[in-house]
Formats: sequence, structure tokens, C-alpha cells
Amino acid sequence: MNNTAASPMSTATSSSGRSAGKSISFAAELQSMMFSLGDARRPLHETAVLVEDVVHTQLINLLQQAAEVSQLRGARVISAEDLLFLMRKDKKKLRRLLKYMFFRDYKSKIIKGIDEDDLPEDKLSGSSNTNKRQKIAQDFLNSIDQTGELLAMFEDDEVDEVKQERMERAERQTRIMDSAQYAEFCESRQLSFSKKASKFRDWLDCGGMEIKPNVVAMEILAYLAYETVAQLVDLALLVRQDMVTKAGDPFSHAISATFIQYHSSAESAAACGGEAHSDAIQPCHIREAIRRYGHKIGPLSPFTSAHRRNGMAFLAC
Amino acid sequence: MIFLAEGMAKAALGRYWRKSPDLRAKQLLSWRRSAVIAAGERPLPCGLLPRSPLSPFLLVTRGLGAEFRVPSPALHWVPGGCGSLAWAGAEAQGTDPRAPARPLLARTPARPRLANCARGADKRPVRHARSLDLSCSSTRLGAPLFRLPALLTLGPPPMEEEQAYLELYLDQCAAQDDLAPPRSLLLSPVVPDDGYIPNTSNSETVFNSHLEEVKASGHFSSVDLSFLPDELTQENKDQSVIRSKQDIEENCETPGQQSRMLLPREQDVGLGLISGSTLLNSHSQVYPGDADPVQPSPEKPNCTPLMSITPMTPVTPVSECSGIVPQLQNIVSTVNLACKLDLKKIALHAKNAEYNPKRFAAVIMRIREPRTTALIFSSGKMVCTGAKSEEQSRLAARKYARVVQKLGFPARFLDFKIQNMVGSCDVRFPIRLEGLVLTHQQFSSYEPELFPGLIYRMVKPRIVLLIFVSGKVVLTGAKERSEIYEAFENIYPILKGFKKA
Repeated sequence: MNNTAASPMSTATSSSGRSAGKSISFAAELQSMMFSLGDARRPLHETAVLVEDVVHTQLINLLQQAAEVSQLRGARVISAEDLLFLMRKDKKKLRRLLKYMFFRDYKSKIIKGIDEDDLPEDKLSGSSNTNKRQKIAQDFLNSIDQTGELLAMFEDDEVDEVKQERMERAERQTRIMDSAQYAEFCESRQLSFSKKASKFRDWLDCGGMEIKPNVVAMEILAYLAYETVAQLVDLALLVRQDMVTKAGDPFSHAISATFIQYHSSAESAAACGGEAHSDAIQPCHIREAIRRYGHKIGPLSPFTSAHRRNGMAFLAC
Repeated sequence: MIFLAEGMAKAALGRYWRKSPDLRAKQLLSWRRSAVIAAGERPLPCGLLPRSPLSPFLLVTRGLGAEFRVPSPALHWVPGGCGSLAWAGAEAQGTDPRAPARPLLARTPARPRLANCARGADKRPVRHARSLDLSCSSTRLGAPLFRLPALLTLGPPPMEEEQAYLELYLDQCAAQDDLAPPRSLLLSPVVPDDGYIPNTSNSETVFNSHLEEVKASGHFSSVDLSFLPDELTQENKDQSVIRSKQDIEENCETPGQQSRMLLPREQDVGLGLISGSTLLNSHSQVYPGDADPVQPSPEKPNCTPLMSITPMTPVTPVSECSGIVPQLQNIVSTVNLACKLDLKKIALHAKNAEYNPKRFAAVIMRIREPRTTALIFSSGKMVCTGAKSEEQSRLAARKYARVVQKLGFPARFLDFKIQNMVGSCDVRFPIRLEGLVLTHQQFSSYEPELFPGLIYRMVKPRIVLLIFVSGKVVLTGAKERSEIYEAFENIYPILKGFKKA
């Protein structure tokens, strides 16, 4: 199925059999998440539904590929290594994932130190938990690294531009809020797929799979789902900015998306045909973003990589 | 200088003793207050808390009466005033059989304690109080003689015991005081940070500070402070007052300072207050006492010339500081019992002990006072967690060691070390974490989907702070209390900059 061809198609194909009786929906959570990632105060429901579909499709595909890799290895569960393997091509995203894993380890370490009630249990489990994700990642990358690039990522301290941009956007967004709005914003930011682990599992229908992901793999999947949503919002904002035609400004396309979005929300209302919630991201933006993302430009584009085997470019990796 | 004629002193004492305990307490405080006002001098290092209510007075009447030339009536009786608190404390405490049992001290009961006593030469009063190795100076503080510069002509007190005390005291003074005008200042009790925390027994010190506090709160009767639970409100009050001086005191550090206390005196006293209530032994004063006994004194005069008139009035902060003091929530410490232990035997015979060798190779023991948990390993090493102050941690560790000892093992108490301290406080305004993470990227990480707080890794001092939107701040990773305070003082202006209106 070629999801990038036409997004309406994708919704049909991906959610075939599911949209009718789909009991599990993350639409509400997604709306909050999109708000925290830069969308308007009340993102559109249609947009949330579309985003959910896209994320769902991508995750299912990712799981299938990971299951294949697992089988190749002869393992019985999908583990973190398989997902890392799938992501090996995109350095930046891999680095972001690694940083996330390390942060998780670090945070558990600190919380352990603070919460004395945990002490006996913590000692019981020994130091096996500390940095376990880091160890997994390091060992695995060590084993597949041929050129040393992957291992270099551990020491790499470059600024993650995408993350930087997201931080700046959030900062700008929060600067103008008052405390009540900011409290809501913070709560939205704290939403994640990992908080609703069981719902997430059911949503992905992990029970129906032959090879199931283990705990760390589920964490990574939740993170990737979140990353996908974030990417979609980033790209949609960019698209929306492009849609705004500023008279007389030849460089309007070149200005940073985040900057424009902040300043031209009023104008985008007019440009988008005066839709009701002009601030919010429209489904059309999302579709356009996906289309552009999958559209490889260049002389060799018809012959590019295995990513397109399934016809869909993963947003998260 | 205030002097009392000998006869008047005796009369005043007589009146004093005829009063009821509460009135006596009040009288002592008023004496003290006037002494502070009038003398403007630093109280002398005080001895340990007297055991019997009467003994200090014996000392005073006989010793002081003979020696002091006091011109004005009882109100200005400096020594009495200074020691009164101690005595009042003694009174209250005298009735309390739970007074810290220090064998050495028992022999020298009448050692009135001065609030804000200059620190004796004993730098580690608390620590040694327990062990019979009370430093001479501290034990010999004895006579309730305060170092009033020209006031006191200390001749040998008539009574032998007073003589002993006096000698002890003099020795201590001599040992401790290198300063030219050793008793130049009579520090206000409220600002004990002038650094003179009696290093003798922390219970006394605590007691003193508490006395101040108690007096402030007007509940003088509840004086047996060493057994009180930490009274956070009082602590806060004191600490905020005390902390104001922190900056001043920062540089006053004793080289001989034991471990933790690099706190300015104020801190120490405040800490004494905090810990005092929970201290059952002299340990609590380690850090207060640890404030350099000697060094601060010269600086003290410069820093804080004359304290406020009423002991209980908080001193306004001299430097700009947050006025908020982080509270310690948890202290993890380790100690080596230096003998191989049979965990099964310990688990069988000790109360509140769990041992599940399949799960974990250590005995988990708990005691209720101070409320802590210990992990005891077969090698003899022990980890103690859950205490709320350094002294409590040490006390608890000692209790566990005693339990092990009573079970027949030759347990010792080696290398007690605080491994981690956790503190928390509230800046009381919402913080815009997005801004903070952007401007302090190298230090902070904020992943709200993982953890609602921002993790800030401060380089100097090396502390990790968890900052939450609500304004709560948790500080961890400290080995010393001063690191927590310093880290908070460092972060506070930054947080203020990101205050969410």
C-alpha cells in the first residue's frame, strides 16, 4: 500500500476493518499532544483522527518490519535492538532516540536516589537497572557498527536542530500564556503514549502478533509514536506557513516555520479560506506534509532504499 | 558592662528560685535579654547542660557572686542572663530523665550553657560526647562563666566543683580563644551564627537555640528539646533568619572543620535548632559546632556588631537571599561495623528485621526513632537511609550498631560517611520550564512526557536539581548540607527570571 500516494487512501487502507468498530482511539490525547507540540489551543478533531491514522499505520508497519528482523535473528521477542536496527539509516533520529533512552535511565537513577522508600527494592534489583537501556544500545550498536559512525554518536554533542526548534517554539508559545493556560499546557506536554501503555498495546494489536515486543521495545515504540506526531506537527506547520502568500515578500518561503507561525496566524486564516478554527492545523496540511515527506526528489529517487519497500516513509525513522 | 553586687545577685537568685518554673524561665530570658542589650558582649563558651537544676545556681551564686562585680540589679546580670537559658533548660531538662546520657557529663552536672556561646576549642563536641572521649575543653567548660571581657575576673570559685568547672572553662577559653577580644560580642541568641555555638554538647546548643525559639514561641516549658521532633516551623523561622547571614558567614570556615558543616554560623545554629529537637546525643551539634570555633570569632565582631535587642527578633538579612531554606528530606549514610556478621542470626533475634537471602543479600532493619531503614551486609558494612538530618543519621546508625552489638557481634563504628543528602523547598511561584531549558541547555534536560520536572545538573556545587512547574525544587546529590543551600541560592535568581506571572 502506498500511503504517500494519497492520504485519503491511506486512511481507508490502514484503518480498514478498524475504523468501523475501532474502540481504542487516541484522538483526545492526540489533540492535547498536538497542542503541546505547537498547534492551536484546540486542535481540530479531524486533524487528530487523521494523525492517529497515520501514526497507527506507521507503527504497524514498523512492527512488522521489526518482527521480520527478529525472525532473521532467531529471537522470540521484538527487542530494542530490532528497532535500533531499523533506525540505523537516519543518524539524527537515532541520536535522538539514544538520548531519550539515556535520559530515561538517568531519571530512574535520580528518582531512586531520592525516594528512600524504594531503597530496599532498589538494592534488591541491584545495579542491573542502572543504565540498562544505555548498555543495550551500546552493545547493539557496537555489534552492527562497521564504520564507527554509530558509536561516534554516543560522544556526539551536537545540538539537535529539530529539538532546538521545538524547544524554541514551545518557549515562544508559553511566553504569552498566563498561569492557568500554562498549567494546562504543561499537563498536555506530559501526555505520552508510554503513560497509557496498556491502551497503547491494544491499539497496536500486539496481542495478535506472533512476535511481541518486550518492555524496552514498547518504550521505544511509544517514543517513536510521539516522535511521529511531533514530526507531523512540525511539517504541517511548515506547510501552513508555505500556504500563506505574503504579498511582495520573495523570501517568505525561506523564513523559519516557527517564526512565521507565531506571527501570521491571523493571515493564515484568510489564506486557508476562512475556516472556522484558523489557528489549528487542518487535515489538508497534514496530508500535504506527508505527501511532501514521501516525495523523494533527485535523480535516483525511483531507485531508493528499502524504506520504501512498504511504500511508506517512516516519519519517525 | 553590667555587674551585680554579690549580695544583690544572691537576693535575685533567691527570688528566682522561689518562683514557679514558668516564671523562672521568663526571668531567665529577661535577664538574658538585658544582658545582651547591656553588655553587647559575646557570651562565653558554655559548658554542657547541667544535670541538676540547682547546681548551676550554686555555681553561679558562689562562683560568680564572688567574682563578679555587678553594679545593677538582677536584670543586668550577664552571667545569669546568659546562663539562664541553659539553666532554664536545665530545669526543664533536669526533670527529664532522658537527658543525653553522657557519662562524663554526668559527673559535671552544673555546666550551664550559654546561648550563643563561643565555641569551645572542642570542634567536635557532639561526636565525642558520646564516646567517652569528650574533649577536655568541652567537658571542662563547667563554670557558667561567660566570657565577659573585663567583667569577669575569674578567680577560683570557692567550691571545689565550681573550681573544677571554672578551670575547665578557663582552659577551654584559653584553648579556643586566640582572639584578642574574645568576648567582644555578646551575640544575640537569635543570630547565633555569630558563630558561637557551644561545641560542647549539641543538645545544649540545641537547647539554647531552642530556648531562644521556645521563648519566642512562648512555650518555655517544653524545653527538653533534644527529644523533640524536628519542628519545621521553628526551623524555618530560624533558618530563614539565620540564612540571611549565610553569605556573610560563607567564608568563615574552620580548617579543622569536620566533614559537613561549612555552613555559616547562622546555619549552624539554625541547624542546631533543627537537629536539636531530634538529637539524643551530642552529635547534633557537629555541624553547628563545627562552625569554626576560632576563626569566626574575629570576623564575627565585624560582621555582626550588636545583635537585636530581643533575642527572638529575627535579624533582617544583610545580603540578598531567597529567604527560603531547603529542608532536608533524606540522608543516606554508610558506616563500617568492622566485623563479619551472621545475617541469619541478626534477622532471627532482632526486631523489625527482614532477611530474604534469595532476594537480597542483606538484612533490612528499621527503627522508629529516628525513623530510618538500614541495610546491613554480612561484610559488616551498613547503609542507613531515611534520616532527616546528619545528626539523626548518625544517631540512627549508632542505634543500629548497638543493636548488632547487643546481639553479640564486636561491632564498631568506623568511617561514618554521609553519601547523599536530599533537600526540597518551594519557591512559591510557577516556573516557565520551557524558557529555562532553552537558556540553560547545557545543564538542563526537560522531557515532560517522561518526567514532569526539569533536571538541572549544576556544576558547582555538583548537585542535581529537579525543578517543577509548580515551583517545587528538589535538590539531591549533596554530600554536605552547605552544598544544598548553595545550590539553591544559585538557582533561585535563575528561577525568578522564569517566573510565570
